[in-house]
Amino acid sequence: MKRLIALFGLMALVSSAFAAAEVGKTAPDFTGTDINGKTVKLSDYKGKIVVLESYNQDCPYCHDHFKTGSMQELQKEMTDKGIIWLMVNSVNAHNSSYRTPEKARAEWAEYKMHATAWLDDNSGAIGRAYGMLTTPHMFVIDKTGTLVYDGAIDDQPDPFHDPHKAHNYVRDAVGKVLAGEKVTTAKTKPYGCAVKY
Amino acid sequence: MRTIRTAFALFFCWALTLASAQAAHTQAQLILADEVAKPGETVLVGVHLTMEPGWHTYWKNPGEAGMATKIKWQLPAGVTAGEIQWPLPDRLPPAEVTTYGYEHEVVLLVPLKLAADVKPGALALSAKVSWLECKEQCIPGDAAVQATLNVGTETKASADAALLKEWQSKTPRAEKLLSFQVHWEKQAEGDTRQVVIEGSQVGRETLALEKVDFFPYGSDDFEIQGATEKVSAKTGFALRKTVKKFTEWPTNLTGVIIVEGNKQTNGFELNQPITEETAPGLATAANSSSASASGLVNQKSLVQMLLYAFIGGLILNIMPCVLPVIALKILGFVGEARNEPRRVRKLGIVYTLGVLASFLVLAGAVIALKSAGQKVGWGLQFGNTKFLVALTILVFLVALNLFGVFEITLGGRAMNAAGDLASRHGVAGAFFNGILATVLATPCTAPFLGVALGFAFAQSTAIILLIFLSVGLGLALPYLLLSFQPAWLKFLPKPGAWMEKFKILMGFPMLATGVWLLTLASGSSEKSTILSLGLFLVALAMGVWIWGEFVQRGTKRKGLAGALSVLIVAAGGAFAIPMNRGGAEIQWQPWSSAAVAQAQAQGHPVLVDFTADWCLTCQVNKKVALEVASVREKLKQIGAVNLVGDYTHQPEAITDELTRYQRAGVPLVLVFPGKPNAEPVVLPEVLTSGIVLGALEQASK
Repeated sequence: MKRLIALFGLMALVSSAFAAAEVGKTAPDFTGTDINGKTVKLSDYKGKIVVLESYNQDCPYCHDHFKTGSMQELQKEMTDKGIIWLMVNSVNAHNSSYRTPEKARAEWAEYKMHATAWLDDNSGAIGRAYGMLTTPHMFVIDKTGTLVYDGAIDDQPDPFHDPHKAHNYVRDAVGKVLAGEKVTTAKTKPYGCAVKY
Repeated sequence: MRTIRTAFALFFCWALTLASAQAAHTQAQLILADEVAKPGETVLVGVHLTMEPGWHTYWKNPGEAGMATKIKWQLPAGVTAGEIQWPLPDRLPPAEVTTYGYEHEVVLLVPLKLAADVKPGALALSAKVSWLECKEQCIPGDAAVQATLNVGTETKASADAALLKEWQSKTPRAEKLLSFQVHWEKQAEGDTRQVVIEGSQVGRETLALEKVDFFPYGSDDFEIQGATEKVSAKTGFALRKTVKKFTEWPTNLTGVIIVEGNKQTNGFELNQPITEETAPGLATAANSSSASASGLVNQKSLVQMLLYAFIGGLILNIMPCVLPVIALKILGFVGEARNEPRRVRKLGIVYTLGVLASFLVLAGAVIALKSAGQKVGWGLQFGNTKFLVALTILVFLVALNLFGVFEITLGGRAMNAAGDLASRHGVAGAFFNGILATVLATPCTAPFLGVALGFAFAQSTAIILLIFLSVGLGLALPYLLLSFQPAWLKFLPKPGAWMEKFKILMGFPMLATGVWLLTLASGSSEKSTILSLGLFLVALAMGVWIWGEFVQRGTKRKGLAGALSVLIVAAGGAFAIPMNRGGAEIQWQPWSSAAVAQAQAQGHPVLVDFTADWCLTCQVNKKVALEVASVREKLKQIGAVNLVGDYTHQPEAITDELTRYQRAGVPLVLVFPGKPNAEPVVLPEVLTSGIVLGALEQASK
């Protein structure tokens, strides 16, 4: 019986560790390395709004946002306002979609990305801490370090849509935070390809 | 110049197909269950997706990622597509993100409804299928698929019918074999809350619950997460799932319960309101009450089953070979010790134990046989056609036995041994008397026990034991009562000729059971299967009658009678079994005079079989003279076109054709030579394969 309780305890622990990120609570801190070898720590950005984007260019849902230029425009719009935008690539190093830092830098240039940094998370540590399920799966963290948005990037789960015409939940959430209002749509079902942990 | 242009065009096409073949790791094809369908009918069609190794496509709820395959129909007027019927999916990697889908291949089934006024002729069906295929990467794919459906006067199955049927058997089952209760376990913790699904078995078919899982249907408002925890349950099963809320909590839980066991996978749709469990104390109370409520359903059917077994045991007492045993053997020991009531009671109890012991041995044998059967992979349960056929034959034999067509006897040696033991005095004597009563009663009890045994086979070990003990208790009860109250002897009916009549009377409910089983056994098969099984039963009855009348009760030429009996049963079996074999049948196409003319014009000989479901001669002709290996080979060899005209509903075109050949009805079999307008060879009404082969030879010259 004791063993059973211990087992359930362990399972609860594991599942809570997996889904630790929860809207309304403090976003889990993490440390990562970007594609230029720079160390990035979430807690260093306290006092700023942070957007997390789970990324995989080989995923048609992700690719759709980049080939239409929509993602880069949103990145630029946000970073121009002093918002931190971190792309998190959790694809494992054995997967054909993995990007070495060199290839990642080339891809960054090719798509003219405007994020603050692209984090190489091939261990999946950051992805798992936030429960990133799909690419793209978006998170917004407010200035106090509280998670205020967790979900899809927009309301059209389609790899062939024009994201410009969709309702963008991230722009919506960041706008509310900047206006000092409560985020109304704080959680949605993320769509896309499974993260290749 | 022209050749160069053609070559260029060809190269361009080739390059295009190569490009599309490389891009897609999934091939899509539209298949139809019917080649020809009648207006007003519903035709089952399917989109057959074939994935390269390692690639998968998604289920109706892709899960936490992915995309459900979509079918966008382009249908002619008068054809409407129903919803996709999804075969049960698998959980797909990676472990962190739960998704549901298909690897290797899948057929997504769609019923297409034809309007009653749809015009005869060819209908072009087409659809755009789009999917997301994933391995290490995900690629969106799409394909335009098309097929042609002919609308005609008679339905004709296509070569893909079997494949569609196979995939249809992988969709959730419609029978209600499980009953569900779903409740929230605790209060929500932030965005997550646990829900518990309790399930119990309520059907007459008992499922082996080796592994139970739940795959939810999707929603944008919440996510039923992938992990399934097993919770201990008193009866049936209980599963815990975690719900993650996006916008709203679900009020209903919908999805598919997947039960694995006995090397089978069954799915059952679940659509159940989620009940609230409030205060923790109340929750436990409500929990246990709901658990016992679902347990009651099982208990009720079990109690009913045991009651029937007990009544069966009681009825055994007035069977012709049991009632005299009471008079002779049992009343003997009651009488002997009349002066010592305590001793009589003791003997009565020991006697009951003797009966129960012999039934325990029987139950043990059944259980051993069952577990041995499971090891060699027999699916001994209702729903398994072979098992049902065996049970039908058994019940039918029991009915024949009750009618007195034949007897069941144990070997003399076993009888003598039991008799020797029973002649001992005292306690041991009473115990062995109990066994003797069981053994002596075998000729009457065996049939009943055989049936109980048949039904018991599908049950769990504990239930088998209980069933047999109930029968034994029923059989022993009168003796037990009499040993306590010898005065009640006067209520006992006197043995007499009425017992024989009662036995015959009991044969009729048994026969009714046999008919019921026959329809179950042939439920999913074709009409011809029921017919062949029925005919086999008649042959069996005749063989058994010869055995009973001329071997068991006869005096002369027993060997000959025995051989004849075996021969008839064997011939019946040989006749019935090939009927069940599908596959290698002649490829029949529907008859029309135009089809005959067309085939003749192309130089093909034509075999025409005018037949009807109600025409027994036609069925026999088909089995013995047409659907035989030699004829099949000959047809192939001469390149014959085979046409079948169904006269079941007597269409005018066939009536006219029959009149042309001066026939009032079917059977009519014609063989046309492969030359335009050549007159056919008209075959006689009763055929042999020799006649058919001769006619085919003549027509191919």
